[in-house]
Amino acid sequence: MAKYIAKRLAQLAPILFGLTFLVFALLSLSPGDPALKRLSLHGAGVSREELELTRERMGLNRPFLVRYGLWLRDALRGDLGVSYRDGRPVAPKLRGAAGCTAALASASLLLSLLISVPLGILTAVKRGSVPDAAIRCAAFVGNAMPNFLISVLLMYLLCIRVRLFPVIARGSLQGLTLPVLAVAIPLSSRFVRQIRAEVLEQLSCGWVTGMRSRGVRERFILFANVLHNAAGPILTIIGLSVGTLLGGSVVVESIFRWPGLGKLAMDAIRARDYPVIQGFVLLTAVFYVGINLLTDIAYHLLDPRIGLD
Amino acid sequence: MNRRLRAWGALAVLSLAFAGAPAVRAAEKKILRAAASFAYGSLDTHKQYYGWYTSIYGITESLFRMGDDAALQPWLAESSSVDAAGLTWTITLKKDVRFSNGKPLTAEMAVRNLLRAAEVNARCAQLKDFRIETTGGRTFTITTPKPYPTLLNDLAGTELGMLDLDDTKDFDNAPVATGPFVIEKFVPEGDVTVRRSPDYWGGPVALDGAVFYYMQDDDSKLLAMQNGELDCYNSVSTSALEVYRRSPDRYRIVSIPGMRLQFYILNEKRLAPAVRKAINLTVDKKAIAAFLAGTVSPAVGPFGVDTAYGKAVIPACDAQKAREALEGDGYVRNARGIYEKDGKPLTVEICYYAARSLDTLATLIAEQLKNVGIASTLRVEEDADSTYIARADFDLGLYCMIADKAGDPYNFIKATLREGGYYNVGGFKNEECQKMVERLQYEPDAAVRAELANKIVQIAVDDNAFGYVGLFNKTTVLRAGVSGFAENNPFDFYGISAVTDKK
Repeated sequence: MAKYIAKRLAQLAPILFGLTFLVFALLSLSPGDPALKRLSLHGAGVSREELELTRERMGLNRPFLVRYGLWLRDALRGDLGVSYRDGRPVAPKLRGAAGCTAALASASLLLSLLISVPLGILTAVKRGSVPDAAIRCAAFVGNAMPNFLISVLLMYLLCIRVRLFPVIARGSLQGLTLPVLAVAIPLSSRFVRQIRAEVLEQLSCGWVTGMRSRGVRERFILFANVLHNAAGPILTIIGLSVGTLLGGSVVVESIFRWPGLGKLAMDAIRARDYPVIQGFVLLTAVFYVGINLLTDIAYHLLDPRIGLD
Repeated sequence: MNRRLRAWGALAVLSLAFAGAPAVRAAEKKILRAAASFAYGSLDTHKQYYGWYTSIYGITESLFRMGDDAALQPWLAESSSVDAAGLTWTITLKKDVRFSNGKPLTAEMAVRNLLRAAEVNARCAQLKDFRIETTGGRTFTITTPKPYPTLLNDLAGTELGMLDLDDTKDFDNAPVATGPFVIEKFVPEGDVTVRRSPDYWGGPVALDGAVFYYMQDDDSKLLAMQNGELDCYNSVSTSALEVYRRSPDRYRIVSIPGMRLQFYILNEKRLAPAVRKAINLTVDKKAIAAFLAGTVSPAVGPFGVDTAYGKAVIPACDAQKAREALEGDGYVRNARGIYEKDGKPLTVEICYYAARSLDTLATLIAEQLKNVGIASTLRVEEDADSTYIARADFDLGLYCMIADKAGDPYNFIKATLREGGYYNVGGFKNEECQKMVERLQYEPDAAVRAELANKIVQIAVDDNAFGYVGLFNKTTVLRAGVSGFAENNPFDFYGISAVTDKK
């Protein structure tokens, strides 16, 4: 196992190198000048002299490869540079945003699983019943509603109508509740449908009929066998969702003023804040590789027949 | 079991509800709660645009300021004078100005502030070319190599707020300045809390403090306002305005023409004079302003009509004359109702970026052009400066810019009408105009400056080089009883002050 993990982590290095180089190249090729963005941010006119001076100070006049080389050298020392936007170090910015995103993602995922696993199983077991239809319908609606609509509706209902929460809340349990709900509602809607489909597939297998004919109790078939077999694909779905969640949800973060990675990345892209974008790419790449690794290990632990290689 | 469950449920709900209690309790003191659409990672007044925000938060003050009437006023400075040659300015500071730590603002400290801003901010770099010297405890001089009539306007820039450079240990988080408020809590790129300065040099301060919540989303701001969690904010969206207008007893809306101009550049290298004329006669600014429902006032020229330099005369919108201009140039209408010449339909490429309502503007202009027989294609770019402005590959390029940054027309004219100006990319060139722009740079007399500016703009108008569409209104919503949030000041960089109050 340790050898496998070491091998996978070693594969991370060329991925990160290739990815950061590619992103750096794309940023340099794409239209948009960080110096110009900085100067014209509030709509004040720009002069060529100011622009040239700012470009010089920001080091943008150096060739692309030199800039990338310098960035890589510093990054290998653990220094991700300073933000073009405000001159603050990138690493603490990313750490703060990643912490917020991790809190939001883990709470949303937990809530989604708490909702979707029982409902997914229930709808599969009670296929064709009224609860099945009702839950599927709700899941369809939850899945179809865009994030911003869910967010604003939640705010309107729980802050204005019921007055259970304030609109402005941050850094508290209250501040976390509404964004978690806004992320968890569509996520659990998606999970319910996928878990239902997996459980149904397992229930339709011949071995389930065989166990039933041998008089094995339905609960035992469901919890000890069907769910065990369905766990692998469900884990894949969760793994993929975790990757997305860690990338951040810009809309939810903006509406609820949650200072996560998605908003940080979007603001950085708008401002052509290359150091922050590079740091974000580096971090998400590590996240994705890490999550994939954990998923593969979990597969193996759930079913040792699945080899790690 | 059920009872226990219910008890746990009630406890959970109560704990959630009380988690936000401090925010509610803060309202018991005279704390203003405002929303801010921008938030930065630093409070270093002299850098980038951070001075706008330290000024909005009531922390910093400059030597001069722009009044509600867009005229220059002394602020920390008491008086100023310039010698006969227009080269040496003498500025005297007010006697009682003190920083929040009680130390007086001296001329030496003011000079050091100006030099620091010149060093760290590219937009203040012109100060490096000047000789700035202390001549007394409260007096200093600025000598420029050539006459620099807009010096005092430059000194009104909020980037030139005065800091105690000796006692400020952390420029990013805790600047020591002269304003009526001091920082209580600063979250980089987040909320900012200020409290009343204990001994403000300018007299009593009405508020105990203020909180600026960083909120980008318009719906969140509206809901927070409705829920009583916000007292005021500006840049109100059109949809939110409608809601506020329905409750005049709860909300006060102040909307005044601001300084942000929506305009378009007509590319002279790609459009014939007759086509440019037809376009300018077609674009109906009043209809556009009406569509934008109070967020924009129709522009006459680039500057406010109340200013002495905002007197350009622009031909009224007239579709018939537009058609005549095209027909006079040999265009004929085809079966689709679109003008064509030599079998080639007249199609204008409109470039825009999706901000400051320019997307709406592009669509409306395209529709108006179509009505007179000019077809158009729309091209949106995320970053105008680096794309169509830099490459000049457009027919009609929309842009939004602060036209009047400091009560003087020169900056806008320099950027858009002077040869080599960053936004003079449509091929506008006029010898007489260039001479007047050169003269405007050094002309000290305000009346002559206004006359020159009007003539320069008129030449561009007559050449149909540009189209000035609308001036953004500065729209502020205030809860009943709230006043003094710079709601009557057309500039974006003022906010709370000693007179801001909440009843």
